[in-house]
Amino acid sequence: MKRVNQRSKILKLLLSSLTFILLFTIQISAQSGNAENGKKLYNANCAACHKLDARFVGPPLKGISEKRTKEWLVAWIKDNAALRASGDADAIAIFEEYNKITMTPYPNLSDQDIEDILAYTDDKPVEKAVEDKGVATAASLGIDSLQVVTGKKIFSANCAACHKLDAKLIGPALRNIADKRSDDWLKSWIKDNAALRTSGDADAIAIFDEYNGSPMTAFPQLKDADLEAIIAYTSHADILEVKKADTAASDNLAKVDPIPWATYLVILVLVLLAIWVYFISKNEFLKLMTTIALLLGVGYISYAAMMDIGVDQGYKPIQPIAFSHEIHAGDNKIDCEYCHSSAKHSKTSGIPSANVCMNCHKSISEYNGPVTDEKDKAFYDGEIQKIYDAIGWDKEKLAYIEGYEEKPIEWIRIHNLPDFAYYNHSQHVTVAGLECQTCHGPVEEMDEVEQFSPLTMGWCIECHKTTDLKVESNEYYAKIHEELSKKYGVEKVTVAQMGGRECGKCHY
Amino acid sequence: MASNKKYWKSVEELKENSSIVEKLRQNEFVEDIPTDQFLGDKETLDSSATSRRDFLKYVGFTTAAASLAACEGPVIKSIPYVVKPDDVTPGVADYYATTIADGYDFANVLVKVREGRPIKIEPNKLAKINGSTNARVQASVLSLYDNNRLQNPRVNGDPVNWSTFDKEIASKINELKANSESIVFLTGTTASPTTNKLIQDYKSTYANVQHIAYDAISESAALDAYYAMHEKRALPDYDFSKADVIVSIGADFLADWQGGGFEVGYAKGRVPSHGKMSRHVQFESNMTLTGANADKRYIVKPSEQSLVLANIYNGLTGASSTKSTAADGGVKNVIKALKAAGSRAVVVTGLQDKNAQIIALAINDILKSETINHDAPKYIRSGSDTQVAQLLANMKAGKVGAIITYNTNPAYTLAGFAEALKKVKLSVAFAMNEDETASISQNVAAIPHYLESWGDVSIQKGQYGLMQPTINPLFNTRQFQDTLLKWIGSSQSYYDYIKTYWNTSVLKGKSWNQALHDGFVSSSISSVESSLVGENGSSENKINYASALSALASVKGSELELALYTKVGLGDGQMANNPWLQELPDPITRTTWDNYLLISRVDAEAKGLKNWTVSDGALNGDKVNLTVNGVTIANVPVYIQPGQAPGSVGLALGYGRAKGVNTNMIVGVNAYPLFQNFNAHQAISIEKTEGVHEFACVQLQHTIMGREDEITKETTLADFVSKPKEEWNAKAHVSQDHQLVEIDKVDLWEKFDDSLGTKFNLSIDLATCTGCAACVIACHAENNVPVVGKHEIRVSRDMHWLRIDRYYSSDMTVEKGKEEGIYGSGGFFDAQIQPSDNPEVAFQPVMCQHCDHAPCETVCPVAATSHGMQGQNQMAYNRCIGTRYCANNCPYKVRRFNWFKYFDNNEFDFNMNNDLGRMVLNPDVVVRSRGVMEKCSMCIQMTQATILKAKKEGRPVKDGEFETACSNACSTGAMVFGDVNDSESKVAHVKEDDRTFHLLEFVGTKPNVFYQLDVRNTNEA
Repeated sequence: MKRVNQRSKILKLLLSSLTFILLFTIQISAQSGNAENGKKLYNANCAACHKLDARFVGPPLKGISEKRTKEWLVAWIKDNAALRASGDADAIAIFEEYNKITMTPYPNLSDQDIEDILAYTDDKPVEKAVEDKGVATAASLGIDSLQVVTGKKIFSANCAACHKLDAKLIGPALRNIADKRSDDWLKSWIKDNAALRTSGDADAIAIFDEYNGSPMTAFPQLKDADLEAIIAYTSHADILEVKKADTAASDNLAKVDPIPWATYLVILVLVLLAIWVYFISKNEFLKLMTTIALLLGVGYISYAAMMDIGVDQGYKPIQPIAFSHEIHAGDNKIDCEYCHSSAKHSKTSGIPSANVCMNCHKSISEYNGPVTDEKDKAFYDGEIQKIYDAIGWDKEKLAYIEGYEEKPIEWIRIHNLPDFAYYNHSQHVTVAGLECQTCHGPVEEMDEVEQFSPLTMGWCIECHKTTDLKVESNEYYAKIHEELSKKYGVEKVTVAQMGGRECGKCHY
Repeated sequence: MASNKKYWKSVEELKENSSIVEKLRQNEFVEDIPTDQFLGDKETLDSSATSRRDFLKYVGFTTAAASLAACEGPVIKSIPYVVKPDDVTPGVADYYATTIADGYDFANVLVKVREGRPIKIEPNKLAKINGSTNARVQASVLSLYDNNRLQNPRVNGDPVNWSTFDKEIASKINELKANSESIVFLTGTTASPTTNKLIQDYKSTYANVQHIAYDAISESAALDAYYAMHEKRALPDYDFSKADVIVSIGADFLADWQGGGFEVGYAKGRVPSHGKMSRHVQFESNMTLTGANADKRYIVKPSEQSLVLANIYNGLTGASSTKSTAADGGVKNVIKALKAAGSRAVVVTGLQDKNAQIIALAINDILKSETINHDAPKYIRSGSDTQVAQLLANMKAGKVGAIITYNTNPAYTLAGFAEALKKVKLSVAFAMNEDETASISQNVAAIPHYLESWGDVSIQKGQYGLMQPTINPLFNTRQFQDTLLKWIGSSQSYYDYIKTYWNTSVLKGKSWNQALHDGFVSSSISSVESSLVGENGSSENKINYASALSALASVKGSELELALYTKVGLGDGQMANNPWLQELPDPITRTTWDNYLLISRVDAEAKGLKNWTVSDGALNGDKVNLTVNGVTIANVPVYIQPGQAPGSVGLALGYGRAKGVNTNMIVGVNAYPLFQNFNAHQAISIEKTEGVHEFACVQLQHTIMGREDEITKETTLADFVSKPKEEWNAKAHVSQDHQLVEIDKVDLWEKFDDSLGTKFNLSIDLATCTGCAACVIACHAENNVPVVGKHEIRVSRDMHWLRIDRYYSSDMTVEKGKEEGIYGSGGFFDAQIQPSDNPEVAFQPVMCQHCDHAPCETVCPVAATSHGMQGQNQMAYNRCIGTRYCANNCPYKVRRFNWFKYFDNNEFDFNMNNDLGRMVLNPDVVVRSRGVMEKCSMCIQMTQATILKAKKEGRPVKDGEFETACSNACSTGAMVFGDVNDSESKVAHVKEDDRTFHLLEFVGTKPNVFYQLDVRNTNEA
């Protein structure tokens, strides 16, 4: 009897752990839906060669499903060589157009995966939505929205270096300038302000004096239509400044995932089954088998959990300045290497020093982009002010403060390789020509940057095994690549075949 | 082997049935794992309150707690510049050319700077003169990060700011001025035109000023002799590459004699080409680096060295020798050889005696020696013994108003200075550390390290070097020269001062920026006017060689004579707080962290002094009290040195520093009080005293399983020229199917395919390796090798990735055996393994041999050590679990185990234990942790960086681009590194040389390091 008791104790213990494991599994398996998953898959598989909006190694993929049928795309992605061999004209044409570079086949992607990816590539990007909404608002107010959009473009190209809408820069703020001056006056001023001044125009001379006698560049090349567009923009710029929250709201709705009830149901059945096996069934063999299955499950899950220790994928610390890569690299399309300039020269990509920020932020002292309830304009302006506090910039006088004691910005490091692993950015950026996004993910879409890749050794090695060397027009590889490709009997030698899998290449 | 020689490292090995040696041969680690230290004995365990169950509970709990704690990673900050300097790219090293001039070492160097921190000194190979670095120059970067440095100027011991300091000095000086008392600048050799000019400028503001140069290790006799003969107070420059016969009488010219730097020329003559090489004969008492490299070394007491010199002179002039010496046979041969070589011969002497130096110069004049360039003499030393002695007398008499010391530490080096300083009204010490002189001076001016300073140097006529800062001053220091400018009321900075001077007097239209970039400038000699101390003046009209000769012949000997010397590690002792140098094994004695009395076996036996090896392989020795002319130093350990002249003892200067150094750096005894009348040779008496000294000597460590007689190879020039290669460099043979076959034809493993791509090989030429140990320090700096301290060295836990083995071999040769009629008998063999009193010496740098068939790789249970395509044997520290199987299986014993955490650990209070000292670490090489094995990586971080540079520039790597730290530091070019698959490369070329052999070739490991055997020129004439 005692023995039986003990056994039921063990069973209870096993059962409770089983429940625990099941709950754990639920948490793990609770995955997000379609487009979200598609984005992940896209970044992991496609982003190395494709961009959404621009031609890269392969063609741009935005709205690709409007061009090709889904069946064709599935066939192409899974095995494009086979598709070409079957004589598909489109497939051959693409192959020819892109310099006969074979796309990597992805037989491992399921149809569902590919559908997810397509769902992502068909998504409308945010900025377009803003513009669309703005245009709609404009129409209701009776404003020529096209003119305002054109005006914004001309303004950005010609005026923005010295003028802002709401603040004094080198020249005065220009929002609603048409309320102050007549259109004709403005036109003649912009075309040739010196002439206007010599003609004795009192206003013109007053402005000239107010701004320390520095003459404004003349723009005789601008046509009247252009000038009207600029004026329209300064008067109705607000229609383009729709709150980001409006667009974000609809996104959020889409992000709420339906709980996979089916999964819960299956788990519940399994739990009940286990209870039945241990407490009701008399079949000892079944009990044994269930125990083995449970132990294997526990082993598998705990192994996975252990392997995750020290892997900080998704690490997203709060930075001292709420610097948004989305605004800088995404909206404003600043090249990564403009700020991370040592990536092409050095082992470190380099965190830009504050003087690099100042190249732009000398003239951009306030934020005029879309805002949310959490992050309003004042918030963003405060963050910009933090750069000025670090370096000592007086934004009123537009000058550095003499003898200012600089306060370095203490960023939190996100990507922390251990000391015993040597990684060199320039090897990957300059020599291999990798996009930053390959490892860092779509940084241009991240408001706050997080660690995108696991940065585990397995992850490094996997890429070294599957990536071909970029040997084109690099004399260094000329001899060795020829010899190695002969040795291995391949056309292209991978990084690993060149020795990129040796311990000593990264550990010294 | 070719000469059938027996090699040994320690006399211990020659004893029959020495259990210690046997143990050392069999065990990689001499000591058993000290389990009792952490487990205790059985009784203690039984009585302990902690039961086994409790222990397991604790272990379980701590493991769980640690894992929980580990779930949260630490927050690591990354702080960029606020305003980044244009020329700094984080992660990319900048190189600056500068010049070291610390009064003892002078060299044009390149400084590797990472993120504004100098981390390594490299030779400036652009400079033709003094572009090489010795161990001290290599180590000097660590002295920049010495946490004992002075951080503020001080007045009467209190830290003050500079304006207070200036005011204080000005008021004192004005007082002295009112009484027109004398002010003396006592400096080491500055060799700096602008510094000397500045002191002259100072004289113009204040009349009674004297500038006296003082070298702790004086070359005054040589300077005076040269002045007497050539009217210049300078040193002759010797180019030993032009000499077929080199005779040195007590001159250690491969180390620090007359400022050093002669090994470059010397090495050129040591490689046999067209059947010829130089012959080098050394007469000396201590075994020096130079003597160890000589073809023939005669052991001669210091007093008899004078006679040897006089006899050589007489022999050349045809006069009969005055007195006979033990080395008469050698002298006869030398005279014959000198006569035969004529102008392609040179005689040098290290005797600190003006007469001896005059005679040596006269001999070279008689020979019309081509080696000396009288047009470009050297200014590397300028100290005057008579002036210093006069100063000391004046100080004692109270005739000196103020003494200002710079670049010198007389309270440590000059006996009687500390006492005399008390009578001086004003004392100002310019110092980097609170050294002996600074601690007794009223005022101390904190000066920057040379890597933080501007400066210029001219160590040879027509050669100018520039010193430029490579880092902002770490502390509130001010250069001596800037201070002088302040004191003479100038508003100019020293930088402007140098620039003006250079533009007018040195550059003569050449570009300043170019000079700064190169680090030096060479001017045509005729246009140079020197303003160096004491150079001007008229000489005696006629040199009386006869009187010099008779003075030389009448030098009195004594029963026991002391010869003071300097070690390649510590030199004159100014870098005593540098742990790299303290831990550098002396090339000859293989001992670290100590100085000791060298004594011959004969004398030791007579006095009942012993050295013995204790069970763990460490060396112990008796102690003596020694007395020189009334000065006694107690408890000096005795080291029985094979090759020490009987009747003489040696003691190294530079040790026993006690002020301004960490307590764990206070080692050895200060021998300067024995350096009386600036003479290194003194009559001495010793008596045995109580106590045992424990040496930290590595000579018996890392022995290679009793295979010594197979390890190094050498031959004679005669054999090299006349006999086929098979006789003097035979390939190893092994037995296969009961037949001897060449090792190259047998393989246990499949051949490693090394034909594609880059394959690194390192060649070490034993003919030109002088054993100077610069490579050991370079390796230290490049690879973050930790310092482990005296105790750890003693128990065989040294961490040097690169060691320089020193082997003794008997002077019993086949020829000598035939002469004595014992050749072919057992007596010949016995004579060969007798502990010789004058052994021949062979050096052999040994680092990881990077075997293609590496025994270490096959035994690692976790594959932490593996082979790379490029031939490097790679060690992944993070994978290593510390079984040490690899070290056991390594036939070369080059793997080092991290017994402890050597950083951030108060048990190892060296540079890696403080923030300042850690700044010297190379950020591209990981600091290894406890419990892992480490070893030479063939500087894979350097080769990878070179490859990456080529890839980025889209071009193949050129020959000469690949370097390792050791090959880069090697001034004689003995080490050549490169891609052996590049048939055009130098290393591929030398690999085909007849002298090439692999270490322990018969083991069949196929190393990627190979050696060129040493050739001795035993031709007597």
